[in-house]
Amino acid sequence: MGSVAGGKLRMMGPDHSAAEVTPFRAMRPVPAVNNVTPDARYWSTQMAAVSTQRDRASFMRIFDHFAPRLQRYLRNLGVPESIADELVQEALLTLWRKAAMFDPARASLATWLYRVARNLYIDHVRREPHWSPIQEGLDQLDQLESGRLDSQPESSFDQDLLKQAIDQLPPVQAKLVRMCYLESKSHSEIARELDMPLGSVKSSLRRSFAKLQGSMRGAR
Amino acid sequence: MKPNRHLDDATLVGYSAGALPAALAVVAAAHLERCAECRAHLRDADRIGGALLQQQRADAPAEDARLAILARLDAEPEGGPAVLPIEAVDAHDPDRLPRALQPWFGQSLRALRWKRVAPGVQRIRASGIGGGDLMLLRIAPGNKLPLHSHGGSELTMILDGAYDDLLGHFGPGDVADLDGETLHQPVTSPGVPCICVAATDAPLKFSGWLARTLQPLFGF
Repeated sequence: MGSVAGGKLRMMGPDHSAAEVTPFRAMRPVPAVNNVTPDARYWSTQMAAVSTQRDRASFMRIFDHFAPRLQRYLRNLGVPESIADELVQEALLTLWRKAAMFDPARASLATWLYRVARNLYIDHVRREPHWSPIQEGLDQLDQLESGRLDSQPESSFDQDLLKQAIDQLPPVQAKLVRMCYLESKSHSEIARELDMPLGSVKSSLRRSFAKLQGSMRGAR
Repeated sequence: MKPNRHLDDATLVGYSAGALPAALAVVAAAHLERCAECRAHLRDADRIGGALLQQQRADAPAEDARLAILARLDAEPEGGPAVLPIEAVDAHDPDRLPRALQPWFGQSLRALRWKRVAPGVQRIRASGIGGGDLMLLRIAPGNKLPLHSHGGSELTMILDGAYDDLLGHFGPGDVADLDGETLHQPVTSPGVPCICVAATDAPLKFSGWLARTLQPLFGF
């Protein structure tokens, strides 16, 4: 498929082809990137290739990076290994099927996959069958509204700043954020487990959220 | 109508993490459907989830998982990825319940079959929700509810009518997002009954002799 597209580009003249063909070189299988973390733009390029060209090499790059992370995320939530394996496959298959719905201006690939995996977890593990259609409804409302959002498009903020802010949370706040997101514990469960008043759990999470949100806004 | 009273950020973080008890998640989703401001906060909460997913320690993907996903792609139908049409959201119909409530209570406010639980108070309780308690309440205009607090979290959204308590005025679309410490006594506004959907993750605690009399009626 790359050669067809390349052929078209060549007809545009040699000057263009040199510049335009470069992205296709990245579609050759490459060894996994270990030292450099690929950024949101890299992933949206891979997604564009999956969506428009059904490119399997790009898909497998996404798979190789995200499948082990999704697996770890689901295992942390207490999902048994065989079910986690199955849900990871399901999440990536959803990506293949719905690639055209992915809009890098609205969410990074990591955020998009996070939502997909969380929805699968709630549907299949927590068995709340109404969750996913309702999330899709909310997502559609956002799509209808996009363009007049007061939230920033995801592509315009620096994810590294958010990650730094997560790493810099004070220990208690960091613990609560992790118990919430990575162990899926309710505020009351966290309060019981850490022997904290419920109000303190909520205000601590509120403060963490404000800091992390600030880091996203700060990248403006 | 734009709601004036919103979900606590701690609740939105819990929602994003899939960590809210099911009953609270239903009420949060009902408010999110009507509140673009809270949806913008939810997107930020999802970005934190995406960043945490990226930060998961990752092993190399298992070779059999790679082969399995490739086999699944082979089984997928040819052709481009599906683009689902965005359904037009019906113009705000005051009789239509929010989508998140429909699996539990049906679509129409008028068609609800209320059960009287106390003078001036009618209720419909959702059955089989799993996590927490979910109910609709219809409280006669100008009615004072018994003073109560909550052992855990309580989330209430007004669907019609209004009430006031020490936290202020709550009208249609507004949510009261309370934790265990708040002791409150809502007084419904004159005119029309106040219809709200309420979720708790722990039984209500009523104060005083009247409340103790009412407690069995509420069935908590």
